[in-house]
Amino acid sequence: MDDELRRGFYRQMVRIRTYEEAIRADYHADKTPAWDIGAGLIPGEMHLSAGQEPVAVGLCAHLTADDGLTAPHRPHHLALAKGVDMRKMTAEIYGRETGLGHGKGGHMHLFDPSQHFSCSGIIAEGMPVAVGQAFAFHRRGTTNVAVAVAGEGAANQGAFHESLNLASLWKLPVVFVIEDNDWAISVARTASTSVPSNATRAAAYGVAGERVEGNDVEAVYQAAGRAVARARAGEGPTLLEVHTVRLWGHFEGDAQAYRGDELAVAESHDPIPAYEAKLRADGVLDDATVEAVRAEAATEVADAIAFAKSSPEPPPAAAYEHVFV
Amino acid sequence: MSVEITFPALGKDPDQQGVVATWLVRDGEPVTAGQVIAEVAVDKVSVDVEAPTAGTVRLLVPEEGVATPGTVIARIE
Amino acid sequence: MTVTDQPAAASATRRLTTAKAISEAIAQEMERDPEVFVMGEDVAAYGGIFGSTTGLLDQFGPTRIIDTPISETGFIGAGIGAAVEGMRPVVELMFVDFFGVCMDQIYNHMAKIHYESGGNVTVPMVLMTAVGGGYSDGAQHSQCLWGTFAHLPGLKVVVPSNPYDAKGLMTAAIRDDNPVLYMFHKGVMGLPWMAKNPRSIGPVPAESYEVPIGKAAVARPGRDVTVVSLSLSLQRCLDVADELAGEGLEAEVIDLRSVVPLDREAILESVGRTGKIVVVDEDYRSFGLSGEIAATIAESDPGLLRAPFTRVAYPDVPVPYARPLEYEVLPTHRRIREAIVSVAGR
Repeated sequence: MDDELRRGFYRQMVRIRTYEEAIRADYHADKTPAWDIGAGLIPGEMHLSAGQEPVAVGLCAHLTADDGLTAPHRPHHLALAKGVDMRKMTAEIYGRETGLGHGKGGHMHLFDPSQHFSCSGIIAEGMPVAVGQAFAFHRRGTTNVAVAVAGEGAANQGAFHESLNLASLWKLPVVFVIEDNDWAISVARTASTSVPSNATRAAAYGVAGERVEGNDVEAVYQAAGRAVARARAGEGPTLLEVHTVRLWGHFEGDAQAYRGDELAVAESHDPIPAYEAKLRADGVLDDATVEAVRAEAATEVADAIAFAKSSPEPPPAAAYEHVFV
Repeated sequence: MSVEITFPALGKDPDQQGVVATWLVRDGEPVTAGQVIAEVAVDKVSVDVEAPTAGTVRLLVPEEGVATPGTVIARIE
Repeated sequence: MTVTDQPAAASATRRLTTAKAISEAIAQEMERDPEVFVMGEDVAAYGGIFGSTTGLLDQFGPTRIIDTPISETGFIGAGIGAAVEGMRPVVELMFVDFFGVCMDQIYNHMAKIHYESGGNVTVPMVLMTAVGGGYSDGAQHSQCLWGTFAHLPGLKVVVPSNPYDAKGLMTAAIRDDNPVLYMFHKGVMGLPWMAKNPRSIGPVPAESYEVPIGKAAVARPGRDVTVVSLSLSLQRCLDVADELAGEGLEAEVIDLRSVVPLDREAILESVGRTGKIVVVDEDYRSFGLSGEIAATIAESDPGLLRAPFTRVAYPDVPVPYARPLEYEVLPTHRRIREAIVSVAGR
């Protein structure tokens, strides 16, 4: 695999992690002393993607701005890897007028039509919408694909099954990506899913299914490449499950007591240091490059957050706008 | 010269009764060739009946009246 | 507010059933705009269980008139996805009662995407659905539910009572860039296999036209009592009004035509003149449309009323099956007449 491509993967994953760490810090900063979910710069719920960077980066390397992507409640890694503007995304998370949705949507409802990117906070319900985007792309004779990303918990929701059947039946250019991070909030996959791998469910709908182990960005890149190529060639959908890791809580403020010893094990499998070690061993990265990557990420993230913080909040009267066109 | 419009055969059984479900025109109205003048039905299967020529239509069966295939249901004068 | 905008000379315009008027509107919009397509269960060869898409498959073929599996979440969601990409889907939910299996897509996605995106994404989609009872289809296949959907922001809700409005509202709904829930009562469709009120067949211009969404119509002007209704009940109100006119009571009958936006001005203007109101609503009585109309009057000026607010609504019971039970709870001719006479006499 090309050195520059691999460095690019590393750069993008560091960019995402740097972002999530900064958001996390600001999210918690002013909710003390008594933690109040509605207080502070970033009120409400927060679902961060630390550990899941390889899925977003390996996948989105194959996507253009014209391809669609519906993301779940944990969308930041996907948004950034897809190419959503970091400043506007951040302003939206901070509830500012300059945000993607002018502060109307917030962190779980990021919409960027220039990237055909959307999120939904309802588990699995972005999948039918992706099927619809694929329908439009196919109808117009393009080779664009629509990707639906959801967690392994979503694979037990009706919308997952209906979407697979429909996309398969109509042979639509959809890639269904399941991020199996082992946990649906506090419920382990083994306690929710009747089969060991959701990839095996693909056969039930007549679609190709593949599971990637190891949370390795290059393995995701290869598998996603196959799925995206299949869709672009008009050969129909793929169900791609990636075994990844959720390093932090389901939401910020989640004490994760339910994870017991597994948490320490998970934390020892952080994909970014592991990939960095691999690239250093292959001579693709050295101290200078790593420093530069980290600095660049820090600068970009700081700029985006400064942009958000310096942006005005939407005026109260704006609450009545945009119900209808 | 008047043209007769008969109840069409909708099912396999030529004697099966159907109904003139809806007249879309009134008795004595002018109609054009091809204008849909009625909906007729056998059970839940319904079809449109068109006027074959232009003229004045005379309705010979009441709305929701029963008819069998071949019954003359209207006339164009 | 428009005084009835129906064409005057019936003989100058051909007559259609409401079902045919709906399918004609869809056909004309599909001819005009290649982005319009239809999706739903049994919409293709069957022409829609209640005739809403009759003839469309023959005219447009299976790539634009699409039968779906029984996957409401799947295909309504797919409609939403196609709409955010600029297509203009007309999706049929066979019975409104089935909304339970797909409501998330309707109210959390179709209705909210425009708002959540700060106006950056539109969902120009029509969700059409069959509503209403009176033919013994029981509790799960006879509901109206416009109150339920009207309650949730982000959806326009239109409810035609006659063929002319049915065509114009469908045309307007397809052209509207907002999501529109188009609710057609099975009893106004003029179906050959269901008892029908003659008002379900009527003059419909052949050319394309719109009926404005959010504007009620005065179906029958009068000075004694304001009667506000919609859908099949509106037809019954007109029958009652005709009968009462012969007895010297002039009811003003207002056809809402849309529930969202609700034409509050039309209601207030009429009640301002008559001082008396009867709302006739086949949806459940409590926590819905009729209560909203009462609140509208009370908020504007409770002094408008010279008699108590009166409603003939479906009681808060599931729809019973046996005919005598069902006709006990429907807003029948008898119940409507009694309410109007009672209010007029106050």
